Amino acid sequence: MVINVSAEMVAQTVEAVFLAMMDLEVSPGETPWAPSHDQLTSAVQLSGLWNGALLFECDRRQACQFTGRFLSMDPPGVVTEDVRDVLGELANMIGGNIKSAVAAGLSLSLPWVMEGSDYGRRLCGTEVQDRLAFDCKDGPFWVTLLAVLSDTQGAIRNSGPCQETGTSL
Amino acid sequence: MDILLVDDSKTMRGIVQRAIRQAGFRGLSVGEAENGVQGLEKLRTEKPKLVLSDWNMPEMSGIEFLVQVRASENKVPFGFITSEASAAIKQLAMDSGASFLITKPFSPEDVQEALTPILGKS
Repeated sequence: MVINVSAEMVAQTVEAVFLAMMDLEVSPGETPWAPSHDQLTSAVQLSGLWNGALLFECDRRQACQFTGRFLSMDPPGVVTEDVRDVLGELANMIGGNIKSAVAAGLSLSLPWVMEGSDYGRRLCGTEVQDRLAFDCKDGPFWVTLLAVLSDTQGAIRNSGPCQETGTSL
Repeated sequence: MDILLVDDSKTMRGIVQRAIRQAGFRGLSVGEAENGVQGLEKLRTEKPKLVLSDWNMPEMSGIEFLVQVRASENKVPFGFITSEASAAIKQLAMDSGASFLITKPFSPEDVQEALTPILGKS
């Protein structure tokens, strides 16, 4: 069985999460994805009937702004544990809601957060299924779906192109 | 301790406590734990009116925590606050002895609706 995690589903989920948790309206945007050394990425992996990862990408300033909104406090001036926590929660909520909407038989990992000027996380055997840009008051951000490559028989390829997120693709 | 709050995210523990206050439940003492293992340790010495737990946690998940609580014949009211919102997860939670499951994102109204039958009107 092949299930589809659609861009529309992701977009609706992102809008709902931002509105509920930060009272922040977001809309689909068109800003091209442009990784920078200032970028923070949080991610969750989904596995089961669909295998891949969901990445939430923004810059440090935005991450601090989102944290201020999420926690109803002044935005921190630097990336703190709270900021990493909030970004992880955003990926967790978006991934969790997508998982619930798609089908039974999917499991969700704990979130992880990547930062720093030279980070690069290689997710081998994946391809970018969708990269969605969003706009909000705090600027553009991106949500990316990485899907694990598989052959028509459903087996997972162990080799394949490695997607390096955050620095270049 | 009125409520034991179990979540590996310090951020979410703060968010949940804020939502509890916004739901009108003020003046409650809230204990915290980062995972099911710590939650079980707290329950050895505390008798909260309610346990609120996340689902996905390191070391011991929320559902494993609930199963262990019920296996120890502790009937403390137990609810989940989680991004896991599928029908299967909800059914598993109820079958294991949970009273409710609040899905993230959530509002203070969601918290009020879930907690009122257990804690009384706020």
